[in-house]
Amino acid sequence: MTVKRITFLQELLSILGLEGRLGLSWISSAEAQKFVQVVTDFTEKIRSLGPNPLSTFSDTRKAAAAELMRMDFKGDGYDQQRQSMA
Amino acid sequence: MINNVKAWLEDGKIDIFLGYKETDHHPLPHCFTKERIEEVDDLVLSPARYSLEKIATHMAAVEPDIKIGMLTRDCNDRALNVLYLWNQLNPDNVSTLPVNCCPSKLKEHGDCSYLEPERMGAFKKQVGLDNNMGLEDLDSYGQKERLERWMYEFQKCIKCYGCRNICPVCFCKECSLEHDELVKTGPLLPEVPIFHMVRAVHMAGRCIDCGLCEAACPMDIPLRLLYGRVNQIVMDLFGYETGSSTANNPFSILGDTVTLEPKPIEPAQTVNP
Repeated sequence: MTVKRITFLQELLSILGLEGRLGLSWISSAEAQKFVQVVTDFTEKIRSLGPNPLSTFSDTRKAAAAELMRMDFKGDGYDQQRQSMA
Repeated sequence: MINNVKAWLEDGKIDIFLGYKETDHHPLPHCFTKERIEEVDDLVLSPARYSLEKIATHMAAVEPDIKIGMLTRDCNDRALNVLYLWNQLNPDNVSTLPVNCCPSKLKEHGDCSYLEPERMGAFKKQVGLDNNMGLEDLDSYGQKERLERWMYEFQKCIKCYGCRNICPVCFCKECSLEHDELVKTGPLLPEVPIFHMVRAVHMAGRCIDCGLCEAACPMDIPLRLLYGRVNQIVMDLFGYETGSSTANNPFSILGDTVTLEPKPIEPAQTVNP
């Protein structure tokens, strides 16, 4: 089940253009060497891919969301509702 | 057709019939019953469509033994197969009345509101994705461009939940898109692309490509394209064609032994600029 889901998710991420940022490996608690190898390889790989491109999008969106919160909607009839959601 | 429905209702083969009734010149979904059998005369066919099987699922959830009859287009039929598979409806309690629908090799003429999709504007084509583009064209964009184009589309989302609410194969009682610790209701702007990825994951092996989500979307996000691509993955990986049969789903927990191997973590490659 795990391998099905992860393989699918890897493909899904590559549709969006985030290829190679998800890995799956089975490592037993007795395989310390393998664990080190896998983690080192993956860290190197992620480093070479660079920072997550989604962060640039989320920064602009956070700014937009903050702007939305600052805007004055008083008296539009939804005040109470918004406060209870926040 | 009308006589057929009347006979079914009178025989007690079905308790209710789901179809469309013309109300003020609009064909609206309507539930026909034996008590008000004269209404069946107003049963209409039209290019308009709705996820009638979703109404059926809600009814069966309250009254499991109710016998339901319904008009089925090809997409309704596929949705029913998925709902049978996930135990949301009992095939013994559902009677279908097929109507002319998608054009095919056997019949050129089709009746569906989706046959003439909306044309997309130039700006959307330039920075986003054309809703009517083929799946192959989608893959022709580079990695970075693809992300930018998808994010342009996703960022328009106003989190109206229209895509989920109309979806005939969305039936969970608790939705992860309304969960305090996953995707909260209320706060705008919605978290993207998480919101759409959650839906995309749930649509894998489930989406029957009816296109109602895209028709419902007020922001013209190419959802049908996304779920179509997701189902293409399911086809490539597991050879499973969604909705064509009630054969076991690859994402069902019960089932065959898995022969897939985890992908090796390939050494770092140079990323496309």
